[in-house]
Amino acid sequence: MAILEVQHIEKHFGDTQVLSDISFSLEEGQALSIIGSSGSGKTTLLRCLNFLERPDHGSIAVKGGVIFDAADPSTQAEKDIRQKRLHFGLVFQNFNLFPQYTALQNVTLARELLVKERGGESKEEIIKAGRELLAQMGLADRADHYPHQLSGGQQQRVAIARALALHPDILCFDEPTSALDPELTGEVLRVIRSLAEQKTTMIIVTHEMAFARDVADQVIFMDGGIIVEQGDPREVIDHPKEERTKQFLSRYANG
Amino acid sequence: MLSFFSSTEFLTVVTALNTGFIKTLQLFFVTLVGAVPLGLVISFGSMSRIPPLRWLTKTIVWMIRGTPLVLQIIALYYVPGLKGFHIWSGGESGRFTAVAVAFVINYACYFSEIYRGGIQGVPVGQQEAGLVLGMTKRQIFFKITLLQMVKRIVPPMSNEIITLVKDTSLARVVALQEVIWMGESFMKGNQGYAGLVWPLFFTAVYYLVFSGVATILLGKLEKKLEYFR
Repeated sequence: MAILEVQHIEKHFGDTQVLSDISFSLEEGQALSIIGSSGSGKTTLLRCLNFLERPDHGSIAVKGGVIFDAADPSTQAEKDIRQKRLHFGLVFQNFNLFPQYTALQNVTLARELLVKERGGESKEEIIKAGRELLAQMGLADRADHYPHQLSGGQQQRVAIARALALHPDILCFDEPTSALDPELTGEVLRVIRSLAEQKTTMIIVTHEMAFARDVADQVIFMDGGIIVEQGDPREVIDHPKEERTKQFLSRYANG
Repeated sequence: MLSFFSSTEFLTVVTALNTGFIKTLQLFFVTLVGAVPLGLVISFGSMSRIPPLRWLTKTIVWMIRGTPLVLQIIALYYVPGLKGFHIWSGGESGRFTAVAVAFVINYACYFSEIYRGGIQGVPVGQQEAGLVLGMTKRQIFFKITLLQMVKRIVPPMSNEIITLVKDTSLARVVALQEVIWMGESFMKGNQGYAGLVWPLFFTAVYYLVFSGVATILLGKLEKKLEYFR
């Protein structure tokens, strides 16, 4: 059974249709890459999954349970949305770390707030888990640094640890290396690659074609708010069938 | 031997000015304690997603900021009585209450606009990061937005607070016995002295010392918040 089932998602901003009839599914432990030019709707799709935008049509199911259905208002109750968001983690293009907290506090804050409400681990356990996550990101010695004291690549790795701290079912990346200097993208891609090797279920919106092909189990090419082509990454990226996919990829071939 | 004033005159005047300045300080602190939180409530009103509430708040802020504080003090103190509602008790305590209410409302409106700028200046990504981490709106405000907003508003708030120190002198329009009123009293006649001009000008020393202290303290707060960007 698929861990994520997205069906017929549509989204308009005013008169502009940014997503039309988006359907795909994702198996547990798999990585999905979404490629496509700017404005193709990739980011909006991720924002819909994280309830930062509300689709106008379609449904989203996680582990077989429908968590959103545009046709069923009972799935849209404001009070349940917080809970549903926790199925997904989101790593932003611009990191969005909290500047007044250290790297470790960034990782532990949300967990501590959740535990305050519902009980669970002790504060010490949360901090221990936070330190382990930072160590896993290669940042054990940066735990007490504030975001502005870290490089972009380090900040993004803190942001990944922060998202992992809540154990999301599906971790989403919104162009995680686009805001980084070229020499810093490698360290972030390495971390994502190791997450893929550990069978973390992921959706990665990216412009790094080679990375998408190597890491993903499945790739989706979007253009103008629709899925133009999807399937095995080696098929879609190396042997695209659709004219639009070929055009898009040719811009990367010589780059 | 030429002397501008005797030492007994100086002592009498300074003692009276001290009493007046205590009234000034009371008004200053009551205004801050009232206007700092009320301003936050008003800023939420002016950012509300409910249009009538937003318009109402913006209209009130426009009226309060668009008219002189001195007029608001006079109106609040005299108009209820003229209409037969004697809400202020007689004497100095009634004057103080009326003036304090006028100051709190006036300053809360100014503060609310500073807060609004501070809150809207925090990147929307901060709020979104909080949302995807399962935080409530309240948690996002108190744990994430608030401190970033405070950092942004310290310089403009310092300005307002220095202005407030001096604005307290407007209270003399309803004869509240603050330090300016006290200084003037020695021109008109107080404790056997009349025609003394220097006490009025001497009040400047009080304002300068106090705004100096306020500037130093606010500067320290600004420094303290430099640990993050």
